[in-house]
Amino acid sequence: MKNNKLLIMNGPGLSDLSNFNEMGYGQLTLDTVRKKCAESCKIFGLKMDFRQTDDEAELSRFLIEGIEDFDALIINPVGHSHAASVDFTIYSSAIKTITRQNKPVIEVHISNIFQQGVENTKPIHVPKCEVGFVSGLGIHSYDLAIRAVNKKLSKN
Amino acid sequence: MNIYVINGPNINLLGTREPEIYGKETLKSISKKCIDQGLKDGHEVKFMQSNYEGEIVEWIQNAITEKVDSIVINAAAYTHTSIAIHDALKSYSGFKIELHISNPHLRETFRHVSYISSAVDAIVAGLGPDGYSHVIELLADLQKHYKQKK
Repeated sequence: MKNNKLLIMNGPGLSDLSNFNEMGYGQLTLDTVRKKCAESCKIFGLKMDFRQTDDEAELSRFLIEGIEDFDALIINPVGHSHAASVDFTIYSSAIKTITRQNKPVIEVHISNIFQQGVENTKPIHVPKCEVGFVSGLGIHSYDLAIRAVNKKLSKN
Repeated sequence: MNIYVINGPNINLLGTREPEIYGKETLKSISKKCIDQGLKDGHEVKFMQSNYEGEIVEWIQNAITEKVDSIVINAAAYTHTSIAIHDALKSYSGFKIELHISNPHLRETFRHVSYISSAVDAIVAGLGPDGYSHVIELLADLQKHYKQKK
């Protein structure tokens, strides 16, 4: 079996998950998410690199320079959806590059980002690119994304 | 567990309608996969499609009276127009997921607003026709997970 490598990138603010309404996992921490993702990746034989950074410049640099080493990307760009201060182009240009390489990209969110109303919410915007979107399944948003990435990679 | 999978307008044309966006798989094939996926875990999946807004509203109301455990809804174009479907979903207290084959946020501006998203628990989009069976499988996992917790 081909040992596909998956990058799971968590953006600014995700080091502290105490605000999130978890789904049956007690106090949700990023480490809990990492462990759950590692379990799911193991089932599918995917090699996982799980990262978090509060520094958007670092995030975009890693996406652009580091993606060479990966076959797929799952990204939780939490700040992108909620903070007005974020530079949207950082995400969209990096993600455009990745999808052009025909690598599956899925945007995930722990909560339903539309619950506060559509006016405040901005999913990643990369027109005409293929980007999956999963939001509101708690820690399971990652689960579903990993499942979908595996399915997509198995078709390539 | 009972699951309603409700599909909106034009989804009956899957396979022939803009296959570069929606894929070549037909609705019949997706429906069979969902039902089989459910059966594997002992769940009953009812797969429905309508081009009529009112019929979709009535199915959601049925889900309330029949105490259906979960609704997966691809309201298609009604996603961007239907306050009636929003209201019906609001009244339904089971676990509800909005599903789309493509990712509406990467398409025309008129698809960027969803009246469904704020009325559901979760949104899954852009995973192609496979999104359906992924969601059914996940619902089964979630139920197992909660049973263990209890």
